[in-house]
Amino acid sequence: MSLSLLELAKDREVLLDGAMGTELMARGLPQGAPPEIWNVDRPEVVAAVHADYFAAGSDAVSTNTFGGSPIKLAGHGLGDRAYELNRAAARLARSAAPAGGYVAGSMGPTGKFLRPQGEFTEKEFEDAYAEQARGLADGGADVLLLETHYDLREALAGLLGARRVTAVPVFVTMTFNILPRGFFTIMGDGAARCAAELEAGGAAAVGVNCTLNSEQMIGAVRALGEATRLPIVAQANAGQPVIGPDGNVTYSQSLEDYVRHVPALVEAGARFIGGCCGTGPAFIRAMAPFVVRGVRA
Amino acid sequence: MKEDLYRDIREAVVAGDRVRAAELARAAVGSGLDLLEVVEKGTVPGIQRVGELWEQGEYFLPELISSAEAMKAAMAVIDPVLARSEARTRTAGIAVIGTIEGDIHDIGKNLVASMLQAGGFEVHDLGADVALERFIDKAEAVGAGFICLSALLTTTMINQRKLIGLLRERGLRDKYKVLVGGAPASAKWAEDIGADGYAENAVSAVKLAKALAGRG
Repeated sequence: MSLSLLELAKDREVLLDGAMGTELMARGLPQGAPPEIWNVDRPEVVAAVHADYFAAGSDAVSTNTFGGSPIKLAGHGLGDRAYELNRAAARLARSAAPAGGYVAGSMGPTGKFLRPQGEFTEKEFEDAYAEQARGLADGGADVLLLETHYDLREALAGLLGARRVTAVPVFVTMTFNILPRGFFTIMGDGAARCAAELEAGGAAAVGVNCTLNSEQMIGAVRALGEATRLPIVAQANAGQPVIGPDGNVTYSQSLEDYVRHVPALVEAGARFIGGCCGTGPAFIRAMAPFVVRGVRA
Repeated sequence: MKEDLYRDIREAVVAGDRVRAAELARAAVGSGLDLLEVVEKGTVPGIQRVGELWEQGEYFLPELISSAEAMKAAMAVIDPVLARSEARTRTAGIAVIGTIEGDIHDIGKNLVASMLQAGGFEVHDLGADVALERFIDKAEAVGAGFICLSALLTTTMINQRKLIGLLRERGLRDKYKVLVGGAPASAKWAEDIGADGYAENAVSAVKLAKALAGRG
């Protein structure tokens, strides 16, 4: 790779991908099964999803490892296979990448609380993320993406763990609710505080994903931008899930409405833009003209 | 004097100070106060204030959890004494709660269980990935009034609907109030599947359960 993903982002906005889990379910992933197991059991299916996103215009795709921390995998009896599943996932994404395509190693929350609300220590979280990061880096991830974090302490532990084992740049996205006083995680971490502490912790980019739709996310991008000089990541949901009578899931924000707000996200300062829940390759294809606008003059 | 103690208990619950809440509860027991009044003027208004602060966006999960723990610490001192005096605190209701079959996510469910308990409910928490039959068997066994179902995934919330179907099959639907929650759930979803209610968060879950309990 001649140009790193961060260098590319100096020239132009970078297009990420959309949801992975729903794409796998559409291809037959059974209910309740950990998606990560398909990195070894059905690699061709995971690779096909990555290929769809690259074909839709994604510059970078996220590995199928959102729930790939050893702590989360332990819930499925797969805790001791974290390194293997993460390395396999990164290799898969790498194999699906065309020339100039990048791989972001996804690292979602453990799903557990730190003390005093939960049983875990920061060191335990740090070690778990280090193990996941090692697998992703060894598998060839260009960057790591700690995403959908709702606890700044957990995100910082993940950042520390990842940086301990690899020099690969680490991006961190938090998920915020809109409150009268601004954008906050459920743990009460405000957007500005997250941006500042993550920058101090050595993140290469910070951002916001999930929960908010593309219109609501504009303000969150602005709030982050006021507190950091790092490039900003934005991956909005297509609104909220709506379940039909036959169990089919749709999302409340239409593709047209979602894409309509993408130029404002760019304007607000987002440098890495992709989708989250409810978005698929069609969304990415429709966003591409507003994100990848060519090298700046 | 006792008004000061009630105030201190309220403040300990609002501050989420479980050690102080338990100490004050012991002081109340030691000085022979009417413990029902201690609950009505101390712990309960304390946890209600916490709910308000949450709804106003002043309190977040850590504060909510700490306050629920402080409430429970105080009640752990008060309840056994009340039980001995046969002047039991009135149970707001009996609830069976769990994350539905196929779903291992339990953060939200744990919080709702904790707040329901702090709110005066007797709570039977079945954990995560709970088979549908287990909810019903447990509810039958403990004489519950509520079955509370959590689901974080759009793929597993379908099982909330299945549980209601199973209750119907067994001729038990009208015996229980079925409450649903979790990130993808909504009031519309609850209505669609014939549940008795939906709550967006742990604070509104307690309000909802209390409102439904009031209606019998």
